[in-house]
Amino acid sequence: MATPTETAAAATEAPMLFTRKATGLVREGRTRDALFNNVMWSSVALTFALYWLLIGAYSGGSAIIGILIATTLGLPGAFLYAMLTQVMPRSGGDYVFNSRILHPSIGFAANFSYCLWVIASSGIYTTFIASYGFGAFARTMAGFTGATGWLSFGEWFSTHWGLFITGMAMLLFSTALFVIGGTRLFFRVQVWCFALYILGAVLLPVAIGLLQSRAGFIHNFNTYAAHLGTPHASSALVASAAKAGFTPAHFSLDTSIRTASVFWFIFGFIYPSTYFAGEIRMGKRTHMKSMPGAVLLAAVVLLAMTPTFTHVASYTFNGRLAVAEPAAYGFAAGAPAYPEIMGIASGSPALSVLMILGFSAGLFIWLPETMMMASRSMFAWSFDRLVPERLSWVEPRTRSPLYALAIIFLLITASTAIYSFTTWFTTLTVLLGISFTMVFTAIAGIVLPYRQRALVAASPYARRVAGIPLFTLVGAIALIGFVTMIVILMLDQGSGVSLAHNPGKLALTAIIYAIGFAIYFASKAIRARQGIDLELAYHELPPE
Amino acid sequence: MSLGLFGRRERAREGQRSAGASTTRLYYASDIHGTEGLWRKFLNAAATYRAGVLVMGGDVAGKVVVPLLERTEGYELELFGRRELLAGEEQLREAERRVRANGMYPHRMSAAEAVRVAELPEEQREDWFAQVMLETFERWLALADERLQGSEVRCFLMPGNDDPPGIDAAVERARRVEACDERIVEFGGHEMVSLGYSNLTPFHSPRELAEDELYRRVERLADQLREPARAIFNLHVPPYDSRLDTAAELDEHLSVVTIGSEPKLIPVGSTAVRELIERYQPLLSLHGHVHESPGATRIGRTLCINPGSAYHTGRIAGCLINLSDEHARHQFVTG
Repeated sequence: MATPTETAAAATEAPMLFTRKATGLVREGRTRDALFNNVMWSSVALTFALYWLLIGAYSGGSAIIGILIATTLGLPGAFLYAMLTQVMPRSGGDYVFNSRILHPSIGFAANFSYCLWVIASSGIYTTFIASYGFGAFARTMAGFTGATGWLSFGEWFSTHWGLFITGMAMLLFSTALFVIGGTRLFFRVQVWCFALYILGAVLLPVAIGLLQSRAGFIHNFNTYAAHLGTPHASSALVASAAKAGFTPAHFSLDTSIRTASVFWFIFGFIYPSTYFAGEIRMGKRTHMKSMPGAVLLAAVVLLAMTPTFTHVASYTFNGRLAVAEPAAYGFAAGAPAYPEIMGIASGSPALSVLMILGFSAGLFIWLPETMMMASRSMFAWSFDRLVPERLSWVEPRTRSPLYALAIIFLLITASTAIYSFTTWFTTLTVLLGISFTMVFTAIAGIVLPYRQRALVAASPYARRVAGIPLFTLVGAIALIGFVTMIVILMLDQGSGVSLAHNPGKLALTAIIYAIGFAIYFASKAIRARQGIDLELAYHELPPE
Repeated sequence: MSLGLFGRRERAREGQRSAGASTTRLYYASDIHGTEGLWRKFLNAAATYRAGVLVMGGDVAGKVVVPLLERTEGYELELFGRRELLAGEEQLREAERRVRANGMYPHRMSAAEAVRVAELPEEQREDWFAQVMLETFERWLALADERLQGSEVRCFLMPGNDDPPGIDAAVERARRVEACDERIVEFGGHEMVSLGYSNLTPFHSPRELAEDELYRRVERLADQLREPARAIFNLHVPPYDSRLDTAAELDEHLSVVTIGSEPKLIPVGSTAVRELIERYQPLLSLHGHVHESPGATRIGRTLCINPGSAYHTGRIAGCLINLSDEHARHQFVTG
């Protein structure tokens, strides 16, 4: 039945819209759900941990400045992704944007590269769960109880096989979530992981940072290390760091800018709601709040965690941890990550375990989230018939895409092996490949108003600013942000993709794009023999 | 690939020939919900994709009327929360075009008339809405007559669950658009059974049926098929639990139910349609209705397709199907 959306309560105000009560008018996703998803996948805690573990390469840098630079460079891109998702709401995210706006081969190659690099980064998560989850837990038990059995147990998790076997166990567990319980079980587990993650990896460390003093922390650190077998550990740490050449560094703007490399880690993984846009319709404000909102929220969390953490464990302390020989101060398996440090600061084994659990929960749930994201891209490729239909086959009982999951499983296994047994990739290496896809998306945003006028004219983003189409303007600013970040990554010696030190990784990034293009054109030729013209899938019909 | 202007006419002829040969190329789209640009694209699909048969699978009516209120200085419009004053016929037409492009109906009226409509009882307001919608729909049919004139393309249209009753009569009167709802039509050696009704929804839309009644209506037609194995089902609602019918679960306030951070997705298709496909095993089964669940699947030997819909984006989600005696090969196209 027809109802006026704005009833004329007062006879003087005429309604400006009449709507029928037809299907679909109210099926809108909620902002908080999309925001939750984006924040959950953005790996804020891992990024924070990475910075302090890698601080040796960023001596003299300011985390706060790094966070602000990364946020400033990434925020316009978040607005662009939100706008594009609004006008092209189909599962597949950047694949859909770039294939429709630029060229199908570019869309596929860029998304193929993005998926591959995201999957490649899975090895970071699986191996971190081993060393900073299980390993840290065991060391915490030893550190608080003095039971040396825990220590030898924990040290195993930092061995090559310990990393690989634990990582594979986590991967099997993630896959089992889908195979046994399907997406519904995954979503339920995700909620619990999120709660544990926020409590343990964010709220507790901030609270302890506010309540504990630096002197109190050093006292607890020495007691903890004594239980691990090393008395006067803080002095031993200073001595070992000095022996390794550590000197407290003065503030350096150059290093602070390079620090953005680490904090860029969150931006590679902050738009997942764009990948389920086809499954649920969302309003303009939902996208606008959930993508830029996630960037800002992540930045706020990092900005809250940094000063509270350094209030307890200073830059200098962490700098020493990064360069000193871990065995010299009692941490033979490796330097502690921030959850263990804040656990030591708390002086409480219970809080300590809670923080390590929260941190691990965030790492663990990222795996099935990534599997879902990649399988959605495969769905989009399969829908356009770029890849065999089997990739989008869903097992009827659990509604899980088993063939797609099997491929992703194999790729994550390879990634886990690489991060367990080799030093081919640093933790930041994956960022370059991911960022190049964003560059293509920014270019797509710039040219959209010129290539698909009708689409933009019918959208809420049809207006111009100083004569420039809004999409073009936002796309150009996003492009500046992404390109600037790529330049920083390529100039940063610690990024793992620096021009000077890692030319091989740059070549690998290009090769993966080339493989993407090759797959597209091979698929096009195969489909042509079957009577299917792939490019028809992307061609816009003339309205006139 | 070239899809330029110069090749179009020749390709259209080829397509028309293909409809009568052993292979028929069919273009199917659905759920355009009053979006005029999409209707125009639908009509142009025949030439662009070299399709000999066009099938519009229902839900052609829009859901929103946007009044253009007469003021002393011109007309007042509110679109996407922005109010603007339109002075002169050119601005007015441009604004009407924008409204139509978004799947809404522009309607020039006085403020007093808008208030009067707002105060009408629900049933009368629905009639008024249907009248506004039909004015546009009649123009669409006239456009189809113009665009398809002189071609051998056959264009079928059936209403969907969201379409008001007046649609049927308008299609019956059309010259180049053929009605197919609740009847069997034939092309290229294939019989097509159509039904625009859906199963019951939480929205109480104009054309809904209980599952058993829906089954009976299709069964009555399907029993008359000469060769079910070569037939096409054109049923607006997709089969239950087929992946073509996955939608977010709604609560009592029609808001999306979520688990964790994601919408809880459930099958909302018709059990009757599923049983009918399983029983008759046609060559192809075409569906719409669930916009967010595009895809292709097989139920037994039957290729089932839902191209989905993103009508508010200005792009028409459709599917090209090459039909031969034994096979149906599909390709999704978003035009």
